[in-house]
Amino acid sequence: MMPFARKPRVAFFDFACCEGCQLSILELDEKLFDLLAHVEVVAWREVMSEISEEYDIAFCEGSITRQQDIERIKTIRDKAEIVVSLGTCASISCHNALKNKWAMNELLALVYSEYGEHIDTIPARPIADVVNVDYQILGCPVSLPEFETVFKRILTRQAYTPSNQPVCVECKRNDILCVHEKGMVCLGPVTRCGCNAICTAFGDACRGCRGLIDDANLEAPVRALFGEKLHPIMAEVARNNRLTGKEIIARFSLYNNTGRVGKGEESSDGTA
Amino acid sequence: MTPRGIQIISGPDFNMFLEAIMAVQTVIGPRERGDQPGYYLFSRLQRAEDFAPGYKTTTLPPKKILASPKEKLFSFTFDKPPRLRLHVDASPFVLLGVHPCDLAGIDALDHAYAHPPAEMRWSANRKRATIIGLDCQPDAYCFCSSVGTDAARIPCDLFLTPIDHGYLAEIHSDRGRQLLQKANTSNAGEEELAAAKRWRQQKVERIRAKFDAPLERIADILETGGLTPTWKETAKRCYSCGSCNTACPTCFCFDMIDELDPDLRGGTRYRTWDSCQLLDFAMVAGGHNFRGERWQRVRHRWQRKFLYLFRQFGRPYCTGCGRCSRACTVDINIVDVTNQLIAAAKMEG
Repeated sequence: MMPFARKPRVAFFDFACCEGCQLSILELDEKLFDLLAHVEVVAWREVMSEISEEYDIAFCEGSITRQQDIERIKTIRDKAEIVVSLGTCASISCHNALKNKWAMNELLALVYSEYGEHIDTIPARPIADVVNVDYQILGCPVSLPEFETVFKRILTRQAYTPSNQPVCVECKRNDILCVHEKGMVCLGPVTRCGCNAICTAFGDACRGCRGLIDDANLEAPVRALFGEKLHPIMAEVARNNRLTGKEIIARFSLYNNTGRVGKGEESSDGTA
Repeated sequence: MTPRGIQIISGPDFNMFLEAIMAVQTVIGPRERGDQPGYYLFSRLQRAEDFAPGYKTTTLPPKKILASPKEKLFSFTFDKPPRLRLHVDASPFVLLGVHPCDLAGIDALDHAYAHPPAEMRWSANRKRATIIGLDCQPDAYCFCSSVGTDAARIPCDLFLTPIDHGYLAEIHSDRGRQLLQKANTSNAGEEELAAAKRWRQQKVERIRAKFDAPLERIADILETGGLTPTWKETAKRCYSCGSCNTACPTCFCFDMIDELDPDLRGGTRYRTWDSCQLLDFAMVAGGHNFRGERWQRVRHRWQRKFLYLFRQFGRPYCTGCGRCSRACTVDINIVDVTNQLIAAAKMEG
């Protein structure tokens, strides 16, 4: 079963990001060789120095944050048959979009003072905001089993939609103790899964790196913490963390700022 | 259910009994979590000491052993014709320390899965399991007496009630009788029978959470409707995270996923737990969602538990274990909400 006429050529590209996603894929270890047997890798900066300008499948990580990024991703789109936005930066802008709460000229003055005028910067956007994207993979970094799944879907020309279920579903399926019971603030109930609840499995809380589910109820935590009926454990959480309702919601926007893309004048106190 | 025999087994003898079983088959039971003392899960027990007989509850019910959260169904190839290989595990095991509510949960699923077309995988797994029940004392979330499961014995093979220095063991099947032959036991005297009776009485007296109306009345209330304000008020607090379903001993809705082999020549089909509280659960082709509003999904959970399946099988699909309330990430309590519904229906007249 191989619907490509010949071995597809695969290239990795990075925009504004830490390149951790393309690096973490190496951790597939021996499985990586099984997957790569189906393709020819022609560009992968973290792995090899050769670069080819001809490719069929482009894995693009990072956010679009400069005018020149727009030109570059358009070129990639023109050349590649399949474009994949790899990771949270590429798919929903991740931390890069934190800057979007400032007007760009204010931001440049704040960070670079008088040298700011030489810097090319625009509000951070996901790749799919600029060009058509065929596959999206979420995660900071991407989850290896999910990357493997998507890779195989691409090779067999099947669609892939990131999960719209919250992390709680995977947490329960793995019988992981709810971190609320340990007095931690967790974004699992509003965050897309697909990570197999890896953070809670290792005792940490979910930081929301895969973005909000479609019908995230952002009022629920504030209601539970400060509403008419106080959740006994959540009340303990609030006390331990000395958090206000506003701060709880602000925590939710660490990875989830794309709603404010291009609206530099809006404040980001989490009231979205 | 009247037991077929009653024996007494002392604490040290019970540990020897467990070790004897462990020597020949897998024993799965409640054990304390390594990462958080005071919390328990059903898991394989390596030694008799791993068994935590005093556990109050577990996050997941023993359902997770009989219908795994991600269950391998079969593998397939893309050959012409395709080859299918059914995944079967026939190894027997002992499921130890199952509380009456969870026995009722397994029984509820026995009925649901036996309903035509019968689900063969569940019944195959059920045949593998020898079930040893264990009586318990309630916590603030337990409400088994409201759904009639506080003294459930079906479908266990043996049932243990803690008494001083050991257990009173009720024999409920031939398999249970056979298993108990591995143990040093003695006949139960008046004193031990009285102790076990006191345990059961104390249990029922200690249950604080209760429904304010009988189950038939609750079904009627749900059928009549007019409860939208209560549903909407509850939904305001609800994350739709699905924890109530995924922690429930009677929920059986599922999804299917196929995973391809790395060589792309075949793959494996899995069945995973699903939840009616999730937005996409009732999404159909064309994008229509017939429970697109959060409050409709909240309502659906109650209707399934206390109306649809109650009318279909003549029993609530709720065991009173309280896991949904404990697992709820915003403290929506099934007993509180049910009583709010009952109160709202009274107001309506």
